[in-house]
Amino acid sequence: MLLQLNNIFKWVNSGGQRIFLLKDINLQVQEGEFISIMGPSGSGKSTLLNVIGMLDAFDEGEYHFLDESVHALKEKHRANLYKEYIGFVFQSYHLLDELTVQENLEMPLLYKKYKGAERKAMVADMLDRFNIVGKKDLFPAQLSGGQQQLVGVARALIASPKLILADEPTGNLNSQQSEEIMELFKKLNQEDGVTIIQVTHSEKNAAYGSRTINLLDGRKI
Amino acid sequence: MFRNHLKIAFRSILKNKVFSAINIIGLSIGLSAAFVIGAIVYYDTTFDNFHPDGDRIYRITTAFTNPEGNFYNSGVAVPLARALVDLNMSELETVAPFLTTYPLHVENQKLDLSFKNPEFVIYANDDYFKTLNYTWLAGSQDGALSNPNTVVLSESRAAAYFPSQKFDEVLGKTLIYNDTIPALVTGVVANFKDRTDLVFEEFISLKTADLQDMTSAVTDGHWNNTNSASQLFIKLGANASASPVQKVLDALSKEHEEKEETAIGNTDAFYMQPLHDLHFDPNYYTFDFDTSRASLPVLRNLGLVALFLLLLGCINFINLNTAQASQRAKEIGIRKTLGSSKKQLIFQFLGETFLLTLVAGLLSIALAHWLLQLFSDFIPQGVTLGLYAAVLPVIGILSLLLIVTLLSGFYPALILSGYKPISVLKMEGSKGNQKSGLRKYLTIFQFTIAQIFIIATLLVGKQIDYVMKKDMGFRTEAIAFFRTPWSNPAPEKKARFIKEIKQLPLVSEVTLGGQPPASFSTHSIGVLYQEGDAEFNTGLQLIYGNQDYFDMYKLQLLGGRLPLNDTIREYVVNETYMKQLGITDPQALIGKTIKADDENHPIVGVMQDFNQRSLKTGIEPMAFTGDTFRSQRSQFNTIHFKLPTENSEQWSETITKIEAIWKEIYPSSDFEYRFMEDTIQRFYTQERKISLLLKWTTGLAILISCLGLLGLVMYTTQRRIKELGIRKVLGASLVQLNLLLCKEFLLIIAVAFAIAVPFAWWGIHSWLQDFAYKTSMSWWVFVGSGLVMLCIALLIISFRTIAAARVNPIKSLGTE
Repeated sequence: MLLQLNNIFKWVNSGGQRIFLLKDINLQVQEGEFISIMGPSGSGKSTLLNVIGMLDAFDEGEYHFLDESVHALKEKHRANLYKEYIGFVFQSYHLLDELTVQENLEMPLLYKKYKGAERKAMVADMLDRFNIVGKKDLFPAQLSGGQQQLVGVARALIASPKLILADEPTGNLNSQQSEEIMELFKKLNQEDGVTIIQVTHSEKNAAYGSRTINLLDGRKI
Repeated sequence: MFRNHLKIAFRSILKNKVFSAINIIGLSIGLSAAFVIGAIVYYDTTFDNFHPDGDRIYRITTAFTNPEGNFYNSGVAVPLARALVDLNMSELETVAPFLTTYPLHVENQKLDLSFKNPEFVIYANDDYFKTLNYTWLAGSQDGALSNPNTVVLSESRAAAYFPSQKFDEVLGKTLIYNDTIPALVTGVVANFKDRTDLVFEEFISLKTADLQDMTSAVTDGHWNNTNSASQLFIKLGANASASPVQKVLDALSKEHEEKEETAIGNTDAFYMQPLHDLHFDPNYYTFDFDTSRASLPVLRNLGLVALFLLLLGCINFINLNTAQASQRAKEIGIRKTLGSSKKQLIFQFLGETFLLTLVAGLLSIALAHWLLQLFSDFIPQGVTLGLYAAVLPVIGILSLLLIVTLLSGFYPALILSGYKPISVLKMEGSKGNQKSGLRKYLTIFQFTIAQIFIIATLLVGKQIDYVMKKDMGFRTEAIAFFRTPWSNPAPEKKARFIKEIKQLPLVSEVTLGGQPPASFSTHSIGVLYQEGDAEFNTGLQLIYGNQDYFDMYKLQLLGGRLPLNDTIREYVVNETYMKQLGITDPQALIGKTIKADDENHPIVGVMQDFNQRSLKTGIEPMAFTGDTFRSQRSQFNTIHFKLPTENSEQWSETITKIEAIWKEIYPSSDFEYRFMEDTIQRFYTQERKISLLLKWTTGLAILISCLGLLGLVMYTTQRRIKELGIRKVLGASLVQLNLLLCKEFLLIIAVAFAIAVPFAWWGIHSWLQDFAYKTSMSWWVFVGSGLVMLCIALLIISFRTIAAARVNPIKSLGTE
């Protein structure tokens, strides 16, 4: 078991009323799964993903990740945990504009205190694997959206996380680029055994996954 | 990691060129001011700090108290040194009396070399060298000055007097001072390498002075006669404390005080001036009158200027960076999701700040170099950027850069690193930040400072203008004067000079007299006026002249007449003196006598008051008299002439002619003339320096503050561009939009103005206390300066807001 959510609640208070963003979510994820989270806008998809990614806190419930009880951890430990095991892919790529492709890839490694030579090798390996060696010295602005997302995925993968969290990874891409990225995810999941959880609007993309979770108004349906 | 941060820093600096430039300019202005002022402070505080046992060396000086105030004399009564030696106190290691002297010339007869007016010559004995540690290049400290007619030279003087001779060869050679005093060279000492006020170059043995006509200056037994030439250094023993010595000094001055003097409130006391105070103590002179000495208040003010400019730069930095924070929020969010900790982010941003500060620092070295040239009038000659080539200053600079980095970088770093990744990454374009409160306060602070400086500059300028233009009470236009040589007092020559000047077509009046009515020098005597039983003891300043002098300067008689001739001492006193005596009608005073030098002299007239000195001081009792000291030394040594007011372009021609006459009559002296109006200007040298400094500081403060304002405006308009678009679509006009944008900034300016006014008023009010005549602190100066600030700010603001308001709403709204 990779992670387990038990009776997760998250709410905000607005005008004296409690508005639930997540309501009684229970979820078990095994290693090697490829899960798609679907639902209309405002149904809590991204919130759930952020809770899983430990970027966002929840108000009630238990969250176990591997052997750790996330709800009981301090901020710093939590950060160490996701730093170690989770990679993020964003809808708008979120590459650092001031850094080249190569430098963007290197950044997570810097925060994990890899040695210089090691970093170089890992970056070179990733460039190779994603077939973007020729683009390594370009800045994000010089790439197409699909290429940027490719770099985004490569960056999420570079430190070999157990789990990839992708928030509408193809939301800004055209259909051909989307297909390429989804194929990539599928390959990663099947060949490398990386667990993937994605948020998506599209049934077609959801079909790449092994399991789909539907949300409505913060509830699993 | 470090390299990565450096890279990011460089690239983000380059990306936001305008903001980076504003940051760097703001910081480098502050830093360059700090560098220059730091150099001055370092220069002034490192005088005489190299002497071994320097903390045990004191100069004994004399402080006089009398009912009119305190007076100070760097010298001491001659018998003091003897008395201290005789007491044989265990606390005193050495007692070193010396006598400053100004020989007319010195000759090396062997080589037939003669040197005029050697400076920095003293009579001293061996104790001087026991007190202060010199390096001996030839000869030795023991007994070098024990015998009469011996001299020790500094290496630079030895090289000058005995060109191309080794120092050893100089020993035993003879120099002749003032044609009559032979002196055998018994030693050569190295000049002090470090900054010092002990600038002496030639040390003639004290016993030599004994043999000369200065006997009185060396062996004078009078305790109540203090000559500033007769000075005294002492050195305490290794573990001795100063207080027993001070007690002995107090006892000595008590023992030798005179009853008549103490009865009228005149006392004096000996004061132990520590060696390291020499450079700062405003009461006592040092030995070189040409170099400016440090004044602690001036240093403190300069320090404040540097501090303010630096603070303004830092505030710019904080404002711009927190304003810009949302732009970097995305980077922070990404970094955090990729595993960066808050601490790492703080260090990253501080690193960036340091990089900017460093660039600003490099830029400010160039700026500082330029500032040093610009302000060369103010700055002591030895102050150069070369001073920074030492360990302490380098450490100082580095810590300054670090402090500036922390001051300006820490808060933005804290804000930036505090962003939650989730909110940043979800809400694209982020909705600004709520922390604008602090930014507002900081901007208010900036503008308050700038506003204070503006008001101060205007008021100081107004005061200077006022004192320069105020009627001194006598005519000043187009009158010039020059002194005839002191060494050549022959009256026939002066008469000839006057006669020749009279023949020049453009000179309408010419007269021989003493100093002009207002001058730096004063000549006063103590006089006694008796009215029945009442006695009035006062000082009375004297000016010397005749009818022509009186007419040329348009002095006014209130009653009586001018002195008849130069043989009878008759006085025309001024109104102030008359009023001091309690008399209101001039006629009541005319015919009375005043007693001076044990003689009674008649008062023959009363003249209208005029200012004898700068308007910082009031009018003092004064008397006008003829050349009444002619029997001793004529006071008529200055020739005054009046040029026509209308054609000033021909003045120089006339002056050239006068110079030609001078060359003929006094071929061996230099011609130096001065206009009366220049003299009046020179009264206010200090004030005009302050004014110049203030102008620059104000300019810089405005510049920095406006840069900051510009940055804020750019940011705000950028942030509100969408709002502006919506308003425009709904029908707002350009003016309305502009007003909307300007409003919040104008409020800042208004608040700053309200805070600045009382501070500026108080500051200038206390500055004006130095003046006997004050300009009024008119309300319009304050209002005017507020308007100036407002106009400048409006200009800056609308520069951006108009552009922002004009943007086509389709562009600003269409992006999403």
